[in-house]
Amino acid sequence: MDESVKPGNGGQVGAEPYPSPEDPLVELRGLLLAAEEGQVARLQERLDDPQSRAEDVGRVLAEAIAIRSRQDRSLTDSLLPTVEEAIGISVRRHPDVLVDGLFPVMGPAIRRSITNTLAEMLESLNQTLAQGFSRQGLKWRLEAWRTEKSFSEVLLLRTLLYRVDQVFLIHRKTGLLLAHVSAGNAVVQDADMVSGMLTAIRDFVQDSFGGAGAGALDAFQVGELTVWVEQGPQAALAGVLRGSPPRELRTVFAETIEKIHRDRAGDLEAFEGDAAPFERSREDLEACLKSQQRPGTAGVPRVRGARRYRPVLAVLAVLLVAAGLWIFSTVRRDRRWANYLERLAAQPGIVVTGAGRRGGRFFVTGLRDPLAADPAALLAPAKLRPGDVAASWKPYRALDPELVAVRARSVLGAPETVSLRVEKGALLASGAAPHRWIEETRRMSRVIPDIAGYDDRSLTDTDGKKLQSAQARLEARRIFFARGSSELASSEAAKLPDVAREIADLPALAAAAGREARVEVVGRGDSEGTGEINLALSRRRADRVLAALRASLPGVPLSATGVGSSEPLAEERTEEDRQLNRSVSFRPVLAGPAAAPR
Amino acid sequence: MIQKKICMLGAFAVGKTSLVSRFVESLFSDKYHSSVGVKVDKKLVAVGQEQLDLLLWDLYGEDEFQKIRPSYLRGSAGYVLVADGTRRETLDRTVVLQNRAEEVVGKVPFVLMINKTDLADKWEVDEAALEELGGRGWPAFKTSAKTGAGVEEAFVTLSRKMLSG
Repeated sequence: MDESVKPGNGGQVGAEPYPSPEDPLVELRGLLLAAEEGQVARLQERLDDPQSRAEDVGRVLAEAIAIRSRQDRSLTDSLLPTVEEAIGISVRRHPDVLVDGLFPVMGPAIRRSITNTLAEMLESLNQTLAQGFSRQGLKWRLEAWRTEKSFSEVLLLRTLLYRVDQVFLIHRKTGLLLAHVSAGNAVVQDADMVSGMLTAIRDFVQDSFGGAGAGALDAFQVGELTVWVEQGPQAALAGVLRGSPPRELRTVFAETIEKIHRDRAGDLEAFEGDAAPFERSREDLEACLKSQQRPGTAGVPRVRGARRYRPVLAVLAVLLVAAGLWIFSTVRRDRRWANYLERLAAQPGIVVTGAGRRGGRFFVTGLRDPLAADPAALLAPAKLRPGDVAASWKPYRALDPELVAVRARSVLGAPETVSLRVEKGALLASGAAPHRWIEETRRMSRVIPDIAGYDDRSLTDTDGKKLQSAQARLEARRIFFARGSSELASSEAAKLPDVAREIADLPALAAAAGREARVEVVGRGDSEGTGEINLALSRRRADRVLAALRASLPGVPLSATGVGSSEPLAEERTEEDRQLNRSVSFRPVLAGPAAAPR
Repeated sequence: MIQKKICMLGAFAVGKTSLVSRFVESLFSDKYHSSVGVKVDKKLVAVGQEQLDLLLWDLYGEDEFQKIRPSYLRGSAGYVLVADGTRRETLDRTVVLQNRAEEVVGKVPFVLMINKTDLADKWEVDEAALEELGGRGWPAFKTSAKTGAGVEEAFVTLSRKMLSG
């Protein structure tokens, strides 16, 4: 602005609004522009005053931002560094402010992230379970083995309606790769070379079959793969697909390549081999990695919850059954164990001091008398196997009556015919035993351990018994004589060898029973005739038999006596009774400690 | 990482395929050569601090029956001419090929590899011919696919030219 028209600067115009008539030009200007000069002065003032300029900008700032943002992204781009820096400073200086601000969104964001992750895990678990165990799953495994593909690849092929495996963004003129994205588990070769070769093949087809104006190669099939090419003026989008993609996908490709041309127009124009700027288009390309699963295969059915979770439910059912069986077998095993411990505790000579379960095996510790039952032999009745139980026994001497009796039996060397038991601390013997054992046991009973008394009243002395019966047999022997005769008739003499044998056995039997034996040969007569004669006759008869026996019994003390008719064997009423008394009988006499008959 | 498309051109049996199979990274089989007429391979070249990713379009040898397709040459940032040092006529052929390449891609950097330098007793390219090439400003390298002599040098020279150009 011209210096001369500036108001209020101390110049002529400001100092003298009505100039002197000698300057007509100034005067004319004053007349013509007096009103505008005031306006100009006010405008000048507003422009010079930062405060009022800020107010002016403030009035239109919001609208200006809105208008520019609608046009392009340059406002965002230019604000970005400032905003980023401001946030950075804020985080460093006042972290609390940001924490408070983010707090309401952190929780929901984390929850959603976790929910999504869990849902994905469940989904993939479901799919693996469903495919892994089904008949179809086995078929696919076979196919994987046959075709040498991985199972997951076959699974993908068979359950997918279609899937976009890879997307290439290719510089059209050079065939160089601008950007490349691929689905998680797609097989990816060197994308640079693939990009070049794709371009070469397209050029080849175009040159060979397409004339001017004919369409370019925009789709071709290689085995299970389809390649779709969407051509833009500067770049092409090539998608590698499996399955049968819907036509709508074509539209997605077309829109993507259009968008990239719009967003990256400058970069495409200036492309000299540096693909870095196209990293920013990755998101657009990733949006093309679409897939859809075959209806009816696992993973798809989202319609009904029950269907969706069926494989999981099946596994849960199997787990429940397994858990049930496990609990049942555990309970049964524990009951058997308790039963075994009861049996052990009931055994004389076994004391259980500890029992339990350790390292998958039962264990039992305690004391065991060597004479007690074998604990291992009790396992089978309790339906336990020897491998189930580890046992550790320390030896001790039990005072259970049963074991005291067993120990006494072995100390005393009791014969089978004797039974021993302990009652109220006393050892009771019953049954039958030889005289010598009985005698010895009586002596030893005082030194048998753990015994307060000994009672053998129920015990039979077998030697005494034998002696008694031999005695009775001998006593029943009779040698008869004719009336008034002391001669042995031949029939009576024939009895003597048997008699002699019985007498001969007697000393040994008596000795076994602790006695000594001698035999009296007793002669008798009937009551006819005088007593004197009868007495003499009876003595002769006894002598006669004694003489006959003595020859064959040198070692046995024998004596003869005649009793006449004083000790008749039978009351004489008949001739038969009298004949009975005309006889010789035998009387064994035992000496020594009298063994009471037992 | 900077990528560049370059083409390899040469008459039949000059040893291009041997050069490629020994000194570059291959993904595709040689059958593309005879069917599509080109095979794309990759070669990493270090020029100073910079790594260059050369996408090598190996064009099927030209003869009177099969012409090089101009569309394959399009977009090349440079090219490699290959001749067989034991067959003089292949060197003459590179002059034709160079003209054709320049028609399509304009004046871009290129190098000449005179291959099979290991077969010294059959060598047919004399010093005069080399001097003539030097006079035309052709950067020529005696190479051997067998020993590797000159190969890396040729690629590095081409890369440097492309980067500075």
